[in-house]
Order: sequence, then C-alpha cells, then structure tokens
Amino acid sequence: MSATRTFDAIVIGGGLNGLAAAGVLARAGQSVCLLERAPHLGGLAAPDASGAPRMAHLLYNLSPVVRRDLGLGARDWPFKTVALPTVALSEDGRHVVTQGAKARFADGGTHPDAAGFAALHQRLTSYAALLRQLAEAAPPGGDAPLLSSARLKEVLRLGRVGLGLRRMGKPEMRRFLQILLSNAYDLILDDIPDSPLAGLLAADAVRGAAAGPRAPGTVFGLLYRMGHGGGASLPMGGMAAVIDAFAGAARQAGAVIETGCGVARILTDQDRVTGVITDEGETLNAARVLSSGGARITAEMAGLAHFDIEASRRLRHVRARGTVAKINLTLSSLPAIPGLPDDLLSARMVIAPSASYVEEAFNPSKYREVSPHPVIEALLPGQTDPAQRGAQGHALSLIVQYAPVDLAGGWHAAARDTLLQTTLNTLSRYAPGLPDLVTGAEVIPPDRIEAETGAPGGHWHHAEMSLDQLLTLRPAIGIGRYGMGPSGLFLCGASAHPGGDLMGLAGRNAAHAALRGTP
Amino acid sequence: MRPQSSFDAIIIGAGHNGLTAAAYLARAGRQVLVVEKNDWIGGAAVSRSLHEGWTYSNCSYVCSLLRREIVRDLDLPKYGLQVIPYEGGASFTPDGDYFAYYSDHHALHREMARHSPRDADAYPRYAQMILRQCRFIRPFLLRDAPDPASLHPRDLGEMAYMVKQAHGLGRRELAETLRFWTMSIGDLLNEHFESDLIKAHLAGSGIIGTGLGVYSPGTAYVLLHHYMGDIDGGIGAWGFARGGMGAISAALGAAFEAAGGTIHVGADVAQILVKEGRVTGVALEDGREFHAPVVASNMDVKRTFLTHVERAALPEDFTRAVERFKIRGSSAKLNIALDRLPAFPAAPQHASFLRGDLHVSQSLWELERAYDDWKAGRWSARPYIDMLIPSQIDPTMAPPGSHMMTVFVQYAPYDLAAEGQRSGQNWTDAARHALAETVLDQITIACPDIRDRIQHMEVRSPLELETEVGLTEGNIFQGELTFDQLFFNRPVPGYSGYGSPIAGLYLCGSSAHPGGGVMAAPGANAARTILRREWPRAPRKGYAA
Repeated sequence: MSATRTFDAIVIGGGLNGLAAAGVLARAGQSVCLLERAPHLGGLAAPDASGAPRMAHLLYNLSPVVRRDLGLGARDWPFKTVALPTVALSEDGRHVVTQGAKARFADGGTHPDAAGFAALHQRLTSYAALLRQLAEAAPPGGDAPLLSSARLKEVLRLGRVGLGLRRMGKPEMRRFLQILLSNAYDLILDDIPDSPLAGLLAADAVRGAAAGPRAPGTVFGLLYRMGHGGGASLPMGGMAAVIDAFAGAARQAGAVIETGCGVARILTDQDRVTGVITDEGETLNAARVLSSGGARITAEMAGLAHFDIEASRRLRHVRARGTVAKINLTLSSLPAIPGLPDDLLSARMVIAPSASYVEEAFNPSKYREVSPHPVIEALLPGQTDPAQRGAQGHALSLIVQYAPVDLAGGWHAAARDTLLQTTLNTLSRYAPGLPDLVTGAEVIPPDRIEAETGAPGGHWHHAEMSLDQLLTLRPAIGIGRYGMGPSGLFLCGASAHPGGDLMGLAGRNAAHAALRGTP
Repeated sequence: MRPQSSFDAIIIGAGHNGLTAAAYLARAGRQVLVVEKNDWIGGAAVSRSLHEGWTYSNCSYVCSLLRREIVRDLDLPKYGLQVIPYEGGASFTPDGDYFAYYSDHHALHREMARHSPRDADAYPRYAQMILRQCRFIRPFLLRDAPDPASLHPRDLGEMAYMVKQAHGLGRRELAETLRFWTMSIGDLLNEHFESDLIKAHLAGSGIIGTGLGVYSPGTAYVLLHHYMGDIDGGIGAWGFARGGMGAISAALGAAFEAAGGTIHVGADVAQILVKEGRVTGVALEDGREFHAPVVASNMDVKRTFLTHVERAALPEDFTRAVERFKIRGSSAKLNIALDRLPAFPAAPQHASFLRGDLHVSQSLWELERAYDDWKAGRWSARPYIDMLIPSQIDPTMAPPGSHMMTVFVQYAPYDLAAEGQRSGQNWTDAARHALAETVLDQITIACPDIRDRIQHMEVRSPLELETEVGLTEGNIFQGELTFDQLFFNRPVPGYSGYGSPIAGLYLCGSSAHPGGGVMAAPGANAARTILRREWPRAPRKGYAA
C-alpha cells in the first residue's frame, strides 16, 4: 500500500466554486487536491455527453475578480461568450425583445413602456453594481482585531459602498434604501403596467427561488441577477469551456483534480481537521478542508459532535427548497413561434406573460404541487453555437418553475410525465406545433438535481437567497464567514456568501479565508 | 360672539393620533382646533351604539399598544380611560378539540404538552426571543426616525443612537435581530414548533392588518408590532378599554378640551389651503374656512396629499412617491349582538380562555391559502378570524345577560373581483352578506349555535372602513408595515420626520413612523416635532417621557 498522500488543502466538489477555490489556493502556493464524486467536473454547470447544456445553460454573473485571481486573463475569459437578447413571449404574438436596458416588440415596433423599462433597468443595474462590492469579499462582521489589515480592508470596503451610495445623490440613495428589502412585484408594476415585459422582470427576480415576486426581499433577487449588468450570455463551446478554463487554471498551478472520487468523511483530531477519507477508503491528509457541498452535509461529514447544539440547530434550519425542474427536449426540427422572427430563436425565451402569472405559478408550489401554468425559460443553444445542438435534432433546454422538491407523493415517473405534459401544453400556447416535434425528453426534477450534484434540496443556490440567509447570516449565524465547526474546515459552495449563479465568488472568497487561516 | 376662525394649529381628523397630537400641542399652550368629518370623534377607535342596548367597538377592538408614556403625560385615566387586560385565548378544531393559550406559564406548558411535549419545552425559548426583540424595539417608538441621506445633526444623532443600540446587542444578538426582522412568521414558527394548531394560533399576529401571508418575509416584524405593547407593564398583554375603544378617544378628547382645545365635529375638510409653499389653513366642504400657520393631518398620506392638497403645490417626485405608497385593505369586521353567551361545546364550562381571543385556523397552510384568495381578489374561503366577547369582562357593552362579539376577519380585499373587474364598488350588500355567511361558517367550528344567538350584526368590508373612517382602501394601519414603508421609509423616504414639502403641513397619523395600531406614538411624535420646528423658543411642556 502506498503512503498516505498529504496536501495543504483538500477541496470537496468540482463545481465552479470548488474549482475556483482550488485554483486560488494552488496559485497561492498551496498543494491542493480536489475530489469530485461524479465522473466529470462542473456540478450544476456540467453539460450532457453531447455537449448540450444539461442543467445550467446560461451565464449572468461570471466574476472578473475570479478571473483575475485564477490568472485567466486580465481583460477577457479564455473562452468566447455571446450575449443573447431575451424574448418575453406573448400569447398574442406581440413578443417583446430586450437587450440590456432596451425593449422593443419583436416585429420592430416601439414598446410603449420602453422608457419605463430602461429607467428601471438602469436604476437596478447601478444599485447592483454597488452591492457587487459586497459579494467580492467575505461578508462584513469579521472578528479581526480592530487595527489589523483585514479589519481595515473591511472598513474601507464598507466605506466605498457608503461613498457610492452618497454619490448617487440624496433622492437615489433614499430610493435605494427603500426598495432594497421590498418585493419585485410592486417595484416593477409601479413603473410599468403588467405585461410580458413586467412578467420577464418578475420571473428573473425569482428564478431558482422558493418565492413569488410578491414576497418582500425579491428585489434583492433581481439585483443579484443584475450584478454584472443582467445580460445573459452563452459560452461558445458550452459550459465545458467554462469548466475547462477553471479546471485548467487550477491544474496549471499544480492542483491535483480527481473525479469519480467522493468523500465519505472529514477527519478531525482534537477539533482540528486532519484530512478526509474517500468513498474507496483512502485517507488523504490536509490541515484544511474546503467543502462546496451544502452546509449541513458538510457538518455531518465532519461529525455533528464538533458543532454545539446551537450551531447544529441552525444548520438544520437552513432553508433550501428547490423549486426548479430542468427539462431537456430534443426536437426533430426548429419550432415555429408565430410572431417571432427566425433570427430570434437564438434568444433566451421566457414564458411569464405577466407578473401576476409568475405569482400564480408560485402558489401551488407552496402546497407541494406543480404549477399548472409554469414559468419557463427556453433556450435553443444550437442556434448560437452548433456545438451545443445536441446529438440528434435540436436541443431545447428548459428551466421550468415551479416544481417543488418535496412534491406531494414524490417525484415518481408519473409525476415527471405530468410535469412534461404541463410544460408541453404551456409551450404549445406560444409554439403551437412544438409537442409534435419532440423526439426525446429528459425531466430532471429538483430531487434528481440533488442526487446528481449534491445541491441541498436541488436548490441552485444551495440555500434560499432570502434576506434572512444573506451576508453574515448565510447560510446560518455563526458560520457566515466560511469557517465552520472544527478549525481548518471551510464552506466554499453556493450556500456560503455571496451565493450561487455560476459565479465562482463563494469558492474564491472561501479560499482567501482559508489562506488567512493558514498557520 | 363670532366663532373663532384663527388658531395656532389645526388638526384634521379626530382619530386617536390626531387627538393625541392636539392634546400635546394644547398642553404646550397652543390654540388648537380639531376638525372631524364625522359627527363623532375617534376615527377607528370608537364605541358605537348601532343596536339598542349594545355598544360596538366597531373598528379597532382591543388595546395594548397605546404607549404608557402618553397615557401618563395626558393623564388619561383621569379622563375615564380604564383598560382591563384579558387572559389567554384559544384556537378550536373541527373535531371538537382546542388549543388554549394561558398567560400563566405552568398552565400554558401543560396545555401545550397536551398537543406536543416538544413544543411545550420549546415555548420558553421562543417567548424569550420575542421579549428580547420587543425590548430592543420599544425605545425607538417614541423617537424620530432619522433620514440616512441627511447630514443634519439631528439625523446624525438619531443614527448614532440606532448604531449604539445595535452595537449594544453584541454581534451574535445583532445577527439574530437582523434575521428576525427579515424572516417570515411561518418560517420562524416552523423552527420552534411542530404542532400545526399551535403554530396557527401563534401566527395570527404576524398577518393581522397586512397584505402579507404567513410565509412572506417581514411578517415576524408584524408579529412584534402586535407584541410590543403592554398593559400596566405586562409586555405583550392585551385588554379592553372599558366602554369600548371609544373610551380611548373620549379620554384623549377630554384631555385636549381640558387643555383649552376646540373640537368641531361634522366638519369635513375639502381642501388644505396652501399659499406660496406654506400652509394657511383648511377649507371645509360647507364653505367654512379656518386659518392656522400649522396644519397636521391625521388622515393617511395618500388622502392627505393626493385628494386634499392641490397637486401643483407639491413637487412631482414627492407626489409620485405618495402614489407608490402601499395601503391595501385586507381585513373585514363583524360586530354581533348576541342574546346570550354562545356555547363552546369543546371548552370546559366557564373556561378562562373564552374571555380572550378565539380562533379557528388549523394550520399555517390554511392561513397561506387564505392569503392566496386575497391576492386573487376574493375574500378567504377559510378566513383567519380573531374573535372576542368583551362583554364577559366589560358589562357596559351589552344588556345584562346578553353579549357583544367582535370578529376581525382576514383576508378581505378592498378591490374585490367581480366579473373580471377589481373594484371597491363590488362590495355590494349581497357581497357583504356572502362574506358574513363565510365567516359565520368558520365561527361554527368553535360555537355551532352562533347563528341562533344573533340579534343584530354589522358587517364591515374594507369599503365601509374607507368611506366612514376615511382610511384609504380600508387599511387599518394607514399603510402596509413592510420594510419599504417602515422607520426612515415611512411614509416616504426623506419625509419620515412628520413634515412635508409644504411648510407648516405635517402628518400625525399612522402613515407616519412608527405606524399603525392604537399606539398614539405618531401623534405624540408629530406634536413634539411641530413644537420644536414651529415654536422653537416656547417651553416644551407636557412631555414627561
């Protein structure tokens, strides 16, 4: 038997956050081993075998800070991304196209609410840019000594946010403080009448969330989405290109990456992390372990005995109730959508004809039922990047909301079929012949997302992005700054600040926290 | 002698806040006039005799939030105010059981353990947390909310006070507080309890009067809003004003008149008079005019600025902000004259909890579904009801042997949907009758013979609350209690200090910080601000607290 391998740090999970953490640590000169249970890297971002998207299909929030820290280029990512317009589909064929702050009808006509939309969009992106500074570091509230450089940096960062607020001028500053914690529904409808355009914003505010747009706090969801301008972009070469870039950066810096290798237990000695035992029984030594799994599962792997009763109670109460199902269809030919020019088939297409539609779609999910009229985000990735067209025909990637993880009766085959039928019915209202074109369908409900990626509750963000689970409160009080339980254990996944959305910031921030904790 | 037409200050509306502001101003030596559109004073704190022999507190119906500092400053007991606390309450189930709430710790523990031993053990921890949050928030109620965008020393001072209070909590407790404020009451209760019935019983206070559901973030704060009062120092205790809620208004009115103030009832203000950016008085519907350099409106912010001030007199962005202000009717009321006490077959005879607040909701999900109905423009198929029989404690409310029952009903939308249209005008007699039947069906869960006991019943939809009391959309708090409309955001950012863009025109009602409930804090705070700003050199009398 070979000698036990020893590293400075072990990273559990090879999603974007895990890879970002491994990359940052390795580039800081640490010896790092990343272990991924699945046979491939990428987690929620991983594409299917043909290269078409499987779960996540678009990028919104890739962070330049992560790119810089991974040494992936000063100006641009090593892969090409294409910014996509968004189409808010309308049953009457008057679809609305948005690109950035601009809105118009798909037939080229001027949208009556274009000015209102532009003003709202511009306001939200400027607020979001301000808040982004908070995402790019550990949340405020550290216990560093008063005169340390860490504390000084924190004060400076908060000062910059405060200054940015002041620079907006009094009226905007007041408006910011007013809407920050409020609900998206009222914010949107205060400025534009309920329509597909309003529905689009409402849907974006709650995508991935267990909340309807009327819930206070959903404006934050919208701001989060808009942290980097709010535009959706498709990576050329698919998510594989993104994953390869992240993994390449880590490997180049010397990180060892092993797939098909799950972690059974995190080892500790006298309340210090000493390494991990893999599913195969191999022991790996390391003084620091960073886990991109959920907070609770991480704690259980380390042994709940290391957590006082208060901490384990809090971990039990972290809310992560996935409400999104992914459906991947294969179509024999491109669908015809009356009123939509062919060149816009490459757009991100959203079915959310009004903000109230989104709220009504949310209602059944509270009672563990599927929405009869779901909110759908549809993408034909092959229209932009032939490499993502899928093995046969045309891949149509659908994000369907709301489909709760705790569906009454469970997600058995019949329930998945019902969801598929409901989705096809909804799609056929906009693309009448579409159901007849379907030659293949895969339904991935939240419980499968959880089983395949380890995301708690199949939730995209590993923990609900509600106001009481943000910043220092994320995922729970006492573990809001990456370190948790025994010394040397860190949380580096989406359940840590600032959250998920294919950003890599949680992993990158956690790695910095782990480096600061280096003996 | 000609009636006086010039005053130091005019208060529009004789609600409890208007009268409170008026009383403080009068006690500071100002000549103050209160004009009230109805023929009686009190706004939503009234005692009405709508059926001979019975007295209805037909809007607000119980008392706890009225700040004790104000009771003391204005000497309200001397003017007849007597608040009698009630003990406990209960939630009944369709299968003939109930959960009873007792203020006695041991009795409560025994009763909770009957439903869930774990919940009984968890309760002290929950109650302690609520009490800590109450203690934290109470000092803010009688202070001004600072404008965070302002560098004025007063605002900076208040901000510093806020930071100091928050800092004093310690890091862990501060985090707990932030979490509490942003949570839903449903999630909070789920963390502590397992019994559906106990959770449903405790959740009610988180939604009363709001357009939010038990799972809407921020409802834990609404619960606090209902718990932060006290009766004679008993934090969170509720009681009846002897003689009905009108007794509060009557005492405030008497205190005001004793200080030399004048009240005109039946005086409906048509227009607030403004000249060159400064308020000059009010013009009534009947043509009379009264003049004063200071006018304080007890009306809600929308009614004050959108219908009683000329639009041209206000900056457009202010008007837009007022238009955006959310003030949504969500509750209705049944006031019932009973020939005798109805039977509660589930409860032991003469159970003390029958003198408290009675409910029939079974679970958080039932409450959430009730909210979904409201969002869609319907009243809840199974509404939350908060039902009390005050005549058991206060015999002045009904003839001997008979009783008066007050039933608060949630949710009932103001803009009821009918034939695809949502409008307050859809509250026809038939609609109100149908609502009453829905509510009576709910009540039969607790007392099956309720329909046989009814001598007279008043059904009040949000529309009646709007037309009679003047509350826009019948919202009992003069505006939603959500983050975007609390503290420095109440009523609109930049104007949390009771003032307005018009010099001399103030708000003194619940649309202003700290918000609704029969608390009187907005009135007292507004009067203090008015005295400071308008008569800076005058001695500030009357504020002991």
